[in-house]
Amino acid sequence: MFLPDDKSEADLSKTYDAIVVGSGAAGGMAAHVLTSHGMQVLLLEAGRKLNINQELKSMEWPYDHPRRGDMPPDCHALSGAEYTIRNPPYARGLPFKHVYSYVEDGTGSDYAKDIVVDEKDHPYTGTQYAWVRARCLGGKTNIWGRLALRLSDYDFKAASRDGFGEDWPISYTDISPYYDKVDLYLGISGHKENLPYLPDSLFQRAVRLNPAEVKLRASLAKSGRVLTPYRAGVTTDGLKHNKNRSRCYGRGACDRRVGGCDIHAAFDSPTGLIYPALETGNLTLRTNATVREVTVDKNTGKASGVSFIDTDTGKTYTVKGRTVLLAASTLESARLMLLSKSAQHPNGIGNSSGHVGHNFCEHIMGPGVYGLDKELVGKPRTLDDGRPGSFYLARFRNLQDRNPKFLRGYGFEGGSGCGMFPDNAYGTPGFGSTYKKTVRDYAGAFIGMGGFGEMLARYENYVDLDPQVKDRWGIPVLRFHIKFGDNEKKMAQDMADAGREMFEEAGLEVLNANSHLLTEGYSIHELGTSRMGNDPKKSVVNQFQQSHDVPNLLVVDGSTHVSASCQNPTWTIMALCWRSCDHLADEMKKGNV
Amino acid sequence: MPYEINRRDLIRIGAGAALAVPALAAGDAPKFFTPAEFAMLDELTEIIIPADAHSPGARGAQVAAYIDARLAEAFEQQERDDWRKGLKVVNDLSKEINGRIFMEAAPEHRIALVTRMARNEMHPKAPEEIFFRELKHSTAHAYYTSKIGIHQEMEYKGNVMLQEFVGYEVK
Repeated sequence: MFLPDDKSEADLSKTYDAIVVGSGAAGGMAAHVLTSHGMQVLLLEAGRKLNINQELKSMEWPYDHPRRGDMPPDCHALSGAEYTIRNPPYARGLPFKHVYSYVEDGTGSDYAKDIVVDEKDHPYTGTQYAWVRARCLGGKTNIWGRLALRLSDYDFKAASRDGFGEDWPISYTDISPYYDKVDLYLGISGHKENLPYLPDSLFQRAVRLNPAEVKLRASLAKSGRVLTPYRAGVTTDGLKHNKNRSRCYGRGACDRRVGGCDIHAAFDSPTGLIYPALETGNLTLRTNATVREVTVDKNTGKASGVSFIDTDTGKTYTVKGRTVLLAASTLESARLMLLSKSAQHPNGIGNSSGHVGHNFCEHIMGPGVYGLDKELVGKPRTLDDGRPGSFYLARFRNLQDRNPKFLRGYGFEGGSGCGMFPDNAYGTPGFGSTYKKTVRDYAGAFIGMGGFGEMLARYENYVDLDPQVKDRWGIPVLRFHIKFGDNEKKMAQDMADAGREMFEEAGLEVLNANSHLLTEGYSIHELGTSRMGNDPKKSVVNQFQQSHDVPNLLVVDGSTHVSASCQNPTWTIMALCWRSCDHLADEMKKGNV
Repeated sequence: MPYEINRRDLIRIGAGAALAVPALAAGDAPKFFTPAEFAMLDELTEIIIPADAHSPGARGAQVAAYIDARLAEAFEQQERDDWRKGLKVVNDLSKEINGRIFMEAAPEHRIALVTRMARNEMHPKAPEEIFFRELKHSTAHAYYTSKIGIHQEMEYKGNVMLQEFVGYEVK
């Protein structure tokens, strides 16, 4: 696989057409689109360029690893409980050499420890929040969950439908051609359902369902609800235009020990976007570049470039750009804007509205239902994890009807069948040969699904800079003021109740229906903090993700989402970014930026 | 169902005493446990997941050796202390009930003791009950991530390259 030369030094003396901060889904997409327009682009990534295939080792058997895939003993992964019984910064006072977020899979995965950040170096403060960050080339796309969904006007115009919050400044027709482009360029697997509230993509071959899933799909269809094969941001038929990425071979490695795909059938930003962009000759990549500030031209107040700290040496550099695109991830991009204070922008760059850091939203997670298909007990072993995802159950609340208890909706991600490890081994009581046989007979008979629901975007859910605490590089850290509210709690209860009903209706025995919300942040779908809008007083960027205050500054990541919807955001982040970058290239050609 | 021990367990354990296969390769000393502790751990894990007609058990999968190796390098001394204490609790209980330490008790008495340890599995209170939870969790983890656990016991068919996805196509 093509890996760019590690030793090449980025030329920091020239003025780039665009400086892109961050190399995840948004940064990679910005690099792809802008270089394809012939622009000279500098891509800055705070973390390292990893030899990702060596990190992931997707097909390594547990018994071929000395700790069965666990991290070294001096590393610690935060548990779900630690987020609720302690307050951030979570690594403070812990004796371990390295501390990682919960996504490191309880005991900690040796395969992802270099991908996610060490919480010791990256503290944050304020309310309890499970913040998962990845600093390395490609960021979280290296280990993302791959569910790739479109939003619809049920989402973009949700405020008009129910009166809460703000509409997006775009409609589905504005973004739909860009969803198509993302589908075709990166590949997506799924099955056409013709749902107005969950538009279809241009799908490649879909995954298949196993018996319990087929049963649930058929039962739901009677009430007009749709369980569809997992819409995975995975190329299942292959991509002729990308030599870095293989098609999916159903190895089932996607969810083992955090996941990741070392044949890159699952989209990741480096192989999907950045390496092809490098081949244009228009992209310069500088890793280990922790951007500290967007610099400002004293005369015009416009962005003039960025200053960054070499992550390893601590040395500070500056580099000039005609435009600056922030793609550092939701929360990090807001942090950077708040850090970029100047005489012209005393509240932080692009923040004359005071909305930077505010209107945060994400997905609630935790509630779900777990059940048993009795007909499958004792049946011969099947292969169920050889697919990049199992099923998605589309939203059904607040579409035609109006739920009296809560606004907006939620969907479920779920699956059933045998995996490599029988999860029921821990929960099955007893011991001895009866226990062993029970684990064996039941392992493939369980089915479960967990809800992902819209958290309402509220002004009072926000982040700001902590006045005291700094990270390892001396940069002020974010302070959280984020709490789920009443709507989220009522929705959580409904997820459990509706989940139970749907399983019972399908003849599945419910073992557990849980309404407990996990700590804020758990869904890793953080959105908002620099929302789009037509009104510069109530929003940070316009519909092309361009700062209302500073026209040559764009925010192209999830920060700009006006509301969270209940669909996973990655595909929308990339489609919006593509649209904005097309627009930016146009405007630059016209001399408007 | 949970706490039933069937006759095969008893027969196996009786035979096991005579045919015990060492769970460490010849010449390998345990890294953390004493040889006596290790033998006891090995027996406890095999009682939890025994060999049966379908596949070898925890002993065959060298579960005790894996637990021992992990404890030897554990970051927190507390972890090692807890395990050592746990084994001592089991021996003390065995002496109290059977008048002899666990490994010297008759096979059916060993099973009876583990049955007692397991009686409040979902809400353990007594020290031996708390230890059972840890012991069982570690045994299950080590067993079902072993070569025997994955391939022989669970007959896992994945982690291979497939041309087609398995299952039913949605129409």
